[in-house]
Amino acid sequence: MAKPKVAFFDFACCEGCQLQVANMGELLFDVLGAIDVVEFREVMSEKGPDKIDVAIVEGSITTPHAVEKIKKIRERASVLIAYGSCATIGGVNGMKNNFKLDDIRKEVYGKDAKYFETIETMSVPQVVKVDYLVNGCPVYLPEFVKVLKAALAGLPYQVPDYSVCVECKLNENVCMYQKGVTCLGPVTKAGCNSWCINNGNICYGCRGMVSNPNEKGAKDVLEKYNIPMDLIVNKMNMYNKCREIDQREQKKR
Amino acid sequence: MKKTHIATLKKERFDDFISALARLQKVVAPVARGNGQFAFEPVVSGNEIALDYIPTILPPKKYFLPQHETLATFDTTKGQQMEPVVAYEKMVIFGVHTCDLAGIQSLNMIFSERPKDVNYLIRKSAITIIGYECNDYCDEYASCRLVHNHTPNGGYDLFFTNLGDKFIIHINTQAGDDIIESAGLFEPAQAADLKALEQLRSDKRKLFANEVPVVHENIPEVFAKSFNSKVWEDLGKKCLACGNCTNVCPTCYCFDVIDEPNLDLKTGKRYRRWDSCQSETFAQVAGGESFREERGARQRHRFYRKFKYPMNKFSRLFCTGCGRCSRTCMAKINLKETLTQLVKEQAMTDLKAGNQ
Repeated sequence: MAKPKVAFFDFACCEGCQLQVANMGELLFDVLGAIDVVEFREVMSEKGPDKIDVAIVEGSITTPHAVEKIKKIRERASVLIAYGSCATIGGVNGMKNNFKLDDIRKEVYGKDAKYFETIETMSVPQVVKVDYLVNGCPVYLPEFVKVLKAALAGLPYQVPDYSVCVECKLNENVCMYQKGVTCLGPVTKAGCNSWCINNGNICYGCRGMVSNPNEKGAKDVLEKYNIPMDLIVNKMNMYNKCREIDQREQKKR
Repeated sequence: MKKTHIATLKKERFDDFISALARLQKVVAPVARGNGQFAFEPVVSGNEIALDYIPTILPPKKYFLPQHETLATFDTTKGQQMEPVVAYEKMVIFGVHTCDLAGIQSLNMIFSERPKDVNYLIRKSAITIIGYECNDYCDEYASCRLVHNHTPNGGYDLFFTNLGDKFIIHINTQAGDDIIESAGLFEPAQAADLKALEQLRSDKRKLFANEVPVVHENIPEVFAKSFNSKVWEDLGKKCLACGNCTNVCPTCYCFDVIDEPNLDLKTGKRYRRWDSCQSETFAQVAGGESFREERGARQRHRFYRKFKYPMNKFSRLFCTGCGRCSRTCMAKINLKETLTQLVKEQAMTDLKAGNQ
C-alpha cells in the first residue's frame, strides 16, 4: 500500500508549529516512515499533486485571498487537520479583531494600505470543514503524533473537553493559584499534558476554552483570589478572541 | 499489642535507617515541594523527608494505580493477539498517614473484587508500607476524627510514632519485621516508651474532636434522605468541573481505557488513565447524551461514592478524612461544610415533620 500523501500549508502564523515537526528528533524517522510528505514549504521546494490524502494547515484566515486558498486546499484534501492555535481557534491573530480593520491596515501598510484587502481573523474551522484539531501554541508533539495516527487509521480523535487542571494534577504540580499566580488552566482544554506548568510557566489558554465553562463560578473564584476581571479577559483574549465569532453565529441561530 | 511487636529507633539513627533501606530498594516518602505543598517522591536519605507534612498533593495511590498504565500490547498482523503487561517495582512507601492507609485499604477492597485487577494486586504485593502517626491535626480541612482515621487501623507493615527523641514502631507483618531485623538499628521498646505512646494516644482523644455535627454511624442515613437536597444545586453553581477533587482523592479509582496504535498502525498498546466523574464527558454515551450533565449532579455523585454507595456494598465509608478535596478546590467547595449543611437541612426537615 502506498504511503498516504501528506502536505503542510500555512496562513497567518509564525510557522513555529511546523518547525516543531522539523525539530521532532528521532521520532521524525518513524513519522516519515508512515507518511509521504509531498509539500512542506519550510523544509522542501516541491509542490504536491492535485489530490492529497492529508492536509495539515497552520495559521489563521485573515484575508479574502486566504479564504480562497483554504477552500482550494479543502477540495484537494481527503482529510484536513487544523494545526496550532492560529488554525484551530484563531490564536494571537485574533487580537486584530480588537481594532477597526481600516486602522489595522493603515498601521501595518501605511500609504500602501489600499492594496491590501483584509478581513477579521478567523480560525480554519470557522471557514471550512475540519476533520481533526491539534490545538496549542505551539502544538504538543505527542498529541500531534496521536492525531496523525488517528487520521491515518481513520479513527476519531477527541480533544479532551476537560480542563488543563486534570493533567496538571496528574503531574502533581503545585497549583499556580497556591503560588499566588493567575493561570488559565481551569478553563482551558487539556491535551498538552500541562506542558507549560510542568516547566514553571502559567497556562495562557492557547488550546481554547472547555466547551461548557462555568463562567459564573469562575468569576466567583477570581473574586476570592482578588483577581480583576479585565485582567483575565485580556489574558483570555490573547488566544481566544475568535471565540466571539462563534458566539455571534450562535446568537443569529 | 505484644511488646515483641514493638521496637524503637533513636532520632539520630533515622537518617542511617532510610539510607540503608534506600540502598536495598526504592524508597518513596513525603518531600516538601514549596508553597506549603508536599509530594511522595523517591528519597535516598532521611534528611530529604518532610516528617511534619500535610497530606501530599496526590495520595500514595499513584504507586498502586499509576496515572497512566499500559495494560497490554497488541499486534494485528498476528490476528487479534494481545500480550498483557504488568509493570511493577519493589518499593517501600515511608511516612503514610493514617488517612492514606485507610485509602489504600479501600482500594484493596475495590481491586480485590472479582474480576480481580491483576495489575493492581501484583503491584501491591511489591510495595511495603511504613505508616506514620499524626500527633496533631495537619490543618483545618481534615475530618479524620469523623471517620475514625485519626488513629491507626492497620493496613501497614510498620507504623512509626514520633515520641520526641525517638520513634516507637509497631511491627505488623513479616515484611516489616525483616526490615527491622536487617537494619540492625532498632532497639526493644521499654515500659516507659509504651507508656509514652499510651499518653500520646490519650492526648489525641482530646485533641481530635468530631469535625461535623453527626456521628459516623448516622452518615449513610443523612445521605439516604439528601438526594434531592438544594445543597447539590449550590455546589453545581460553584464547581468548575476541573476534577481536582477526584484526582487527589485517596479512594477515587475510576479510569478510562484507551487503545492506541503505533505509527505502523498494526501494533499498539492498551492503557488506562485516571478519569473523573466531574468531567463533562465522563457520563456521556453514544449519541452525545450524558447521564450527569449538571455539575451539581456530578458533585452529588462524588459525595455519594464516598458516604453512601460503598457503605451499602462494603460497609465502609470511602472518605478517609484527609481533606485533600477541600484543600485543592479553587471554588472552595468544602467537604466539612457540605456535610454540615446536609446534617442541618436534615434536622430542619425532621423538625418540620415532627411538628405536623
